[in-house]
Amino acid sequence: MDRREILDQVRKSSEHLKGIFDDEVETIVVDRRYGFINGIYKRAVSRPAIERLSASDKIDRIVLNRVLGIPIFLFLMWLMFKFTFTLSEVPMGWVESGQEWLGNVCSRFFPEGSAFQSLVVEGIIGGVGSVIIFVPIIFLLFFCMAILEDSGYMARAAFVMDRFMHKIGLHGRSFIPMILGLGCNIPGIMACRTIDQERDRLTTILVNPFMSCGARLPVYALLIGAFFPEKGGTVLYSIYILGIAMAIIMAKIFRKYLFPGPTAPFVMELPPYRMPTIKGVIIHMWERGVLYLKKAGTIILAGCVLVWFLGNFPWNPEYSKDYDRLKQEAMSDLASGLIMKEAMDETIANLESEQAREKMEKSYLGHLGRIIEPVVKPLGFDWKIGVGLFGGFIAKEIVVGTLGTLYAVGEADEESAPLRERIQKDTWPDGKKIYTPLTAFTLMVFTLLYMPCVAAIGVIYRETNSWKWPLFAAGYTTAVAWIVSFIVYQGGKLIGLG
Amino acid sequence: MKGGFMPLSMVNPGEEVTLMAIHAGYGLQSRLFSMGLSPGVKMKVVKGAPGPLVVLVRDTRLALGCGMAHKIMVR
Repeated sequence: MDRREILDQVRKSSEHLKGIFDDEVETIVVDRRYGFINGIYKRAVSRPAIERLSASDKIDRIVLNRVLGIPIFLFLMWLMFKFTFTLSEVPMGWVESGQEWLGNVCSRFFPEGSAFQSLVVEGIIGGVGSVIIFVPIIFLLFFCMAILEDSGYMARAAFVMDRFMHKIGLHGRSFIPMILGLGCNIPGIMACRTIDQERDRLTTILVNPFMSCGARLPVYALLIGAFFPEKGGTVLYSIYILGIAMAIIMAKIFRKYLFPGPTAPFVMELPPYRMPTIKGVIIHMWERGVLYLKKAGTIILAGCVLVWFLGNFPWNPEYSKDYDRLKQEAMSDLASGLIMKEAMDETIANLESEQAREKMEKSYLGHLGRIIEPVVKPLGFDWKIGVGLFGGFIAKEIVVGTLGTLYAVGEADEESAPLRERIQKDTWPDGKKIYTPLTAFTLMVFTLLYMPCVAAIGVIYRETNSWKWPLFAAGYTTAVAWIVSFIVYQGGKLIGLG
Repeated sequence: MKGGFMPLSMVNPGEEVTLMAIHAGYGLQSRLFSMGLSPGVKMKVVKGAPGPLVVLVRDTRLALGCGMAHKIMVR
């Protein structure tokens, strides 16, 4: 049979069926299908004779309530972050002390001052280790999200947000890719395939990167641990809510100017509530969490080694002072009784940290940093943060990995302090602290909003089949990030926060 | 509304109604059909307008936008 014959037959058959049933073919097919399902169902399932208000109905009556719906959603989110942050503190401490111990063992194991010692202790343990520390928090967050998903609540969240989404010209369905984006933007962007209207789909894809993915969590966790230890859950929550708010605002703008048109109708199936099983939740948590570990062992490892290389070479730059001679002089001063032992120790320590600083500034990374610094200075960031953010384009965890490597450089022979404590102490050349709570918060905002990672850009390209949208997404998110961070930082300074 | 149809969006929560017609384009109509919303089916409104509705159809809970509920005529 060729195609024409098939089509002819289809037309003939549907005319025939129309003649018999006096109805549209679609209607007949659907009726028959559900009739068939019903037949099997009646034979296979027995149910109590009395129709009662099911538990799902009762829960829905509260959760989907017009007044309570959104507050309940916001409260559950807050609870999730509070729970994640509070419970992860203890296991994170374990990982951190394990990493310190490993760093100290390795620095003794390799020859002092060698490039290899530096690579292992500063590059790998300092960089990858600072990302690995946050494994407990990632797993706990994914655990909470798995509970919300398996229980059937996440679909309700989409429903509750429909009213909001409707106002911005999208519907509740678009909220599901956004919620998925909280785990990772890539499945979030791919989930946009279920949105059938092209303009809705593009809008949802373009705002998805504002949903704060798991890879950004290490950056927040580092900064919150260092600067907001008491209010961790709340600060984290505010960042996530800011991301959702920005996504909604940008969607509204895109829908109005870039893709105008009426809102598509909204239909969605709501699964019944179920008690999540421990096994199911653990499997979900594991599947997502393990991706994070794999990433740490591959792309982040590679990124940290690259940062280490750029931060350490040229290995022997031309220094402005002859540090070795100055150290010798201090020692001979002690020997000839000109200065006390404490004074000599202090002079040598100062010289060493000055040398380490100069070495880094003369490295390739230092040069790159100097190019970036003017761009990020108005946001209160120094060149190290600038370089970290630059590397974060590969994967957002690398922001932390880079800082871990940069701060480990030149300190390998000392007892290695956690990165958290090192950034608390770092200062500008004029002695003012680089990191204040305001800078830390601004950095979180910037990390939340700026350019999606390379993998997300790739997925946007695949899903839209053009380079126009991924480039647009990278450009506009970075612009938004800069503007919002600028407002937060300069505004915060104006009202005297920083 | 004796004998007449009314839009689903006007049904109160807890009421049970029968779907009579869908006033929508071909694409939307066949989409709703395939989700089990075909003429003659009985549905119970769990949550009514304003805002999106939740209806129980063939043991499935469906969320429907309010705009769509205007186009679904029931009795």
